[in-house]
Amino acid sequence: MAEKILIIDDDEQLADAYKEYLTSLGYRVDCAQELEEAETLLAHFSYSVVITDLRLSKLGFGGLDLVKHIRELSLKTRIIVVTGYGWPELKAEASAHQVDAFVKKPTRLSDLAKTIGSLAGGV
Amino acid sequence: MKPSLLDTLLDPDQLSVCFQPIFLIRGESNRLYCLEALVRGPRGTNFERADIVFDYVRRKRAEAVVDRSCVVAICDAAMDLPPQVRINVNVHAATLGHKPGFVEFFHNQAKRRHLALDRFTIEIVEHAPTCNIPGLTDGITALRELGVRIALDDVGLGQSNYRMMLDCHPEYFKLDAYFVLGLSVDPKRRAVVESVATLASALGSSVVAEGVESSQDLAQLGRMGIELVQANLLCPALSLEQLQARGLVAATEKPQSAQPAGNLTTLQAFELGSPKPFALAARQSS
Repeated sequence: MAEKILIIDDDEQLADAYKEYLTSLGYRVDCAQELEEAETLLAHFSYSVVITDLRLSKLGFGGLDLVKHIRELSLKTRIIVVTGYGWPELKAEASAHQVDAFVKKPTRLSDLAKTIGSLAGGV
Repeated sequence: MKPSLLDTLLDPDQLSVCFQPIFLIRGESNRLYCLEALVRGPRGTNFERADIVFDYVRRKRAEAVVDRSCVVAICDAAMDLPPQVRINVNVHAATLGHKPGFVEFFHNQAKRRHLALDRFTIEIVEHAPTCNIPGLTDGITALRELGVRIALDDVGLGQSNYRMMLDCHPEYFKLDAYFVLGLSVDPKRRAVVESVATLASALGSSVVAEGVESSQDLAQLGRMGIELVQANLLCPALSLEQLQARGLVAATEKPQSAQPAGNLTTLQAFELGSPKPFALAARQSS
């Protein structure tokens, strides 16, 4: 069974690019553009890895709240924060909430895949 | 730019409607009593499942606008049903209780398609405390004046409590499957169901038992005088075509003069007093 990944990003083009690439590697990928969409998916499905931005600026939503929420739901889920904002201050803040890895935007898809592979153990 | 999920749900063409029969069972006879219209989210997505899509809707606090979109989709689908078939429609109590204009909206959608309002039963669903009871009871009164019947959904769970029974005075108590499952072998469940049946009778209401999964439970319900049953055991939720193929409803022709409703645009969804959905409001302010 392929591992399941949730991508939370309000940049639709970027999320689609991640999804297409990761799907080609054999992962099953869902995307959420907003907090409630992500919360609903997390309530009904199990994800091995969640990739989230920390600042979903278009919707005025702080991804750190979602990181806390994911941790409340599951300690097993690996969380990768991909962000172009506030580095390294946010990194320190997010580390306190047991984020498993950080990737700075812009990132190569292959680098993102390597990070996922190292956390999820590959497909 | 791809529309948000909420915007997608406000397009009734993105919703699909299926129907689950409720049967009237008397002794050996078994006849179709009505159909509950069940709305599914966008096909091929995680949000196709009703429990997931309405979980999202409640998180967005968008029950009022999505309920309207569902009404449009259901009225469109109902045009293909024979005119004698009764239809149950789920509506959140919050929609009736907090958002003026729903009854007028519902009336207009049915009228536009020449659907008699006395064919409808509104099933009141609620997953959060209903604060505006006067608004809710006003909405129910207005529906009744139009000939619409009222059902209280999920009786026994959550907000479908004694107060709602008194305030809504429903024609039907829809007894949640939790109490029905295993009824024949569980005296405690039987005690609960008997008490609900007695209460319903005293209040002039009928009980609809949901989620019957065994013939033993079905027989037990019959012995307890509960005649209305909705169950996958008898018939799951089906498309109109599947219902016709099973001979549960006859094929019918659409009235020539019926006006196609078209899509419920976001603007139309809000025109009767609903607030802007969270996503739109946030996007416009950013």
